[in-house]
Amino acid sequence: MTTAVDRLLRLVDAEDRYAFSSAELLPLQIEAANERLAAHAQSIQLVRGRVEDTGIRGIGERADLVPLLFAHTAYKSYPEGWLASGKWEMLGRWLGSVSSMPVEGVNLDDVAGIDDWLARLAEVGHFVSCSSGTSGKVSMIPSLMSDRLLVKRNLVHSLAWATGLKPERQHRLFICNPSSNNFRYLDSWAGLDEAFGQEGHEFRFPSDPITVGGVRDMVALRNAIGSGDARPEDLAAYEALVAEREQMMAGAVDTIAETLAASRGEKLIVVGMFALIFDVAQKIRAMGLGRNDFHPDNAMMVSGGLKGADLPPDYREQIMDVFNIAPDRAFSMYGMQEVNTLFPRCTAGRYHVAPWVLLLPLDETGERLEGAPSGEVEGRAAFFDLSHEGRWGGVISSDKIAVDYGRCTCGHEGPTIADAIVRYSDLAGGDKISCSGTIDAYVRGAA
Amino acid sequence: MTAHSPVHAKGVVPVPHVVNGVLVEGDALTYRSRDLGIEFATPSLDLNALAPPRGRPGPAFDLPLSDIVDFLEATGERMDADTNPHMRECVDRAALTNVLPRRVLENLVRDARLYLTRANLMRIVEANFDPALLDGWVPQVDPFGNTSAVRAFPPRLIHVLAGNSPLAAAASIAQGALVKAINLFKMPSNDPFTAVAILRTMADIDPSHPVLRSMSAVYWRGGDVAVEGKLYRPHYFDKIVAWGGGDAINNVIKYLGPGLQLVSFDPKTSISLIGREGFEHAVIDEVAERAARDVALFNQEACSASRFIFAEGSADAIDRFCAKLAERLGVDRDYGSAVAAPTPVELRDEIEVLRAVGESYRVWGRGDGKGLVVRSPEPLEFHPTNKTVNVVTVDTLDDAVAHANVATQTVGVYPPGRSAALRNALASAGAQRVVALGAAGEYCSGSPHDAMFPLHRFVHWMVDEAV
Repeated sequence: MTTAVDRLLRLVDAEDRYAFSSAELLPLQIEAANERLAAHAQSIQLVRGRVEDTGIRGIGERADLVPLLFAHTAYKSYPEGWLASGKWEMLGRWLGSVSSMPVEGVNLDDVAGIDDWLARLAEVGHFVSCSSGTSGKVSMIPSLMSDRLLVKRNLVHSLAWATGLKPERQHRLFICNPSSNNFRYLDSWAGLDEAFGQEGHEFRFPSDPITVGGVRDMVALRNAIGSGDARPEDLAAYEALVAEREQMMAGAVDTIAETLAASRGEKLIVVGMFALIFDVAQKIRAMGLGRNDFHPDNAMMVSGGLKGADLPPDYREQIMDVFNIAPDRAFSMYGMQEVNTLFPRCTAGRYHVAPWVLLLPLDETGERLEGAPSGEVEGRAAFFDLSHEGRWGGVISSDKIAVDYGRCTCGHEGPTIADAIVRYSDLAGGDKISCSGTIDAYVRGAA
Repeated sequence: MTAHSPVHAKGVVPVPHVVNGVLVEGDALTYRSRDLGIEFATPSLDLNALAPPRGRPGPAFDLPLSDIVDFLEATGERMDADTNPHMRECVDRAALTNVLPRRVLENLVRDARLYLTRANLMRIVEANFDPALLDGWVPQVDPFGNTSAVRAFPPRLIHVLAGNSPLAAAASIAQGALVKAINLFKMPSNDPFTAVAILRTMADIDPSHPVLRSMSAVYWRGGDVAVEGKLYRPHYFDKIVAWGGGDAINNVIKYLGPGLQLVSFDPKTSISLIGREGFEHAVIDEVAERAARDVALFNQEACSASRFIFAEGSADAIDRFCAKLAERLGVDRDYGSAVAAPTPVELRDEIEVLRAVGESYRVWGRGDGKGLVVRSPEPLEFHPTNKTVNVVTVDTLDDAVAHANVATQTVGVYPPGRSAALRNALASAGAQRVVALGAAGEYCSGSPHDAMFPLHRFVHWMVDEAV
């Protein structure tokens, strides 16, 4: 028997993925939501807790899902001390409470740190993608293999849909990011490579992988320096690491520029972060090369990486100019690490929400649905991703979005999200004074 | 003008100011208070009026202390929301959005009356220093025969007020009055009403009283450089008395320097220590009730409200205690309600996942505002709020002391007799106040607060060695 979830997921690689209006899809989505709720209320402790707190055991309408959604902090709800002191067994039990599959049979002998623990979890089918950990607590996002496969399928078909490129392995793929142990990134890059990239021409970023464990070590060292706990040798080690990393990145820019220049006769797909790709583009320009030297079927998937970078206002246009990238080939997606499905940007510049994801724009507080599911609505982005197997599909974000439920000018159905997305600030705004607080307020630089 | 505008849940609420004792109304500036869910409007600020020049003594500088105490006592007699329309209006507004129910806010207004009595006020002064120092120059002689005279000269103070309790505003106003200061009260966005209501009460008694004319109560958005950059200067003020932490303090810190000092009442995490005696059958019910009282203080908004209970006892006895504690958290009290706001969702998630983690953690309650108890082998890392309490099992209370730090204000102890053996270690760790379990909300008048004697810190200690 085909479940509602199955019927929706058929659309991942269907030609008519965006042929259905949100009103048409809603009954099937509600049915699928009930299937997921029935299963995950049993298998995910945090969902069971929500069901008990709210008394909501079935979804009749979209509003019923709202109290069951997780804040993104759900994937950081473990005691930090367990990670800091390597209490892997306890962390495993925590992970089990936010996963649909129990965490069992993990080999915990002599775990050498978080990277090692993640590898051991993967051996038993738990694929945990961690946030970088550069600021604050590390988010740990569990997935099963089926989730990983969906990420790949969705990315490939979304890119094909948005750019018109065919997954015929005719491009040279340049993933200009250091490798990682984050499954989400690895799967995305592998997916693109397997679908679009010429066999035998995989490009490897010229550096060691940057793993969550590696980043955490740097952060711990930096914090120890800040708090005065570091020894002089630690200081030297930190400075050496920073210098090494800077040198590595500078070297990488040169290598990438040279390799890209050498491949300019080929069809290219350039993937990476804006700051680095911009530097690469500058180098190529300095070689005397530009638009006329590069192939008209080039594409790019470049995003983020703007923090701290000193880019001119037209950085995007400059990159597209150097690599001869047509507007429809500048591929972009909107999403977040807690949600497996990303939404591609169409030729009209809007992100199309996948038919297997329930879009739930909320009010600012995140407690109520904002508006009816028709016309234009603005609100806090929340989603129920019906594809999620390994974890709960419902998440509330900190993004403020402008939604249009109707058919898009690109010709495909919505709901669609406008390109200008901003974050709600974390502070309540207003100068309420609170007399209770923790020792954190007493640590200079901690807040 | 005594007309009172009706209370609106929506629409723009008028927030009048008092400037040097005079009511100022107007709606030139509007603000949004997210905590109150309202927009409110104030008159524009006359910065010159708010910073009286040092060339002129303040109106109360030479007023005898006794006259000041009389005036404060007369104000205290009017601290009753039933009979004082200013206080009724501010309770009406606060009741719409404060975490505390109206009943508790009315209790706090009545407590302000008890605070503003001669006996209490004089005790506060005497605990800080010899009252004669406020009224004149008190002769001193050193061991070498040198003579001088010292005066606790009136300071010029900015008070950045807390908004969680009407009593806090009353206490700040009383303290500012006792030291005869020129006082500028900056109200917070979650209570831009109480300080003005108290000053209007004073105006009803005597609109030209020197104490009243020494006081202004206004609102501006905390951190507004256009205001603070001009007012926070040693030419105009001696000290900034700031409640709370985070941005409230960060906004002030950048203006500190020679001549402008900070007196801060920092954010706190208060705790309880319960010895094994407390889990014995004969007393466990009473101990659970006392523990609950300290946790539920102002629905756990107060700096003195307990958030962590360190329990020295057997696992079974502690669990029995936790069950009773969870029950006692869900009752109405003079300063707390049976149902508070629900535990914030991030906290609830962090607690929910602990339910799955095994026997070293156990949870009672559901975070629905009736109270939530989490028992764990070491302190949890989040900050418990909304009647959430972490019961931490320890081998001995001496081990518990290791968890006290400079952010620890009140330590409730059971049995009270054990406080003597613990208080030095607690002080060394940074804690500031030890009480009997259950008495976190009851104060010995004149006690130091947050490890200082506030009036002593406020005044401008002046010496004349020419006598």
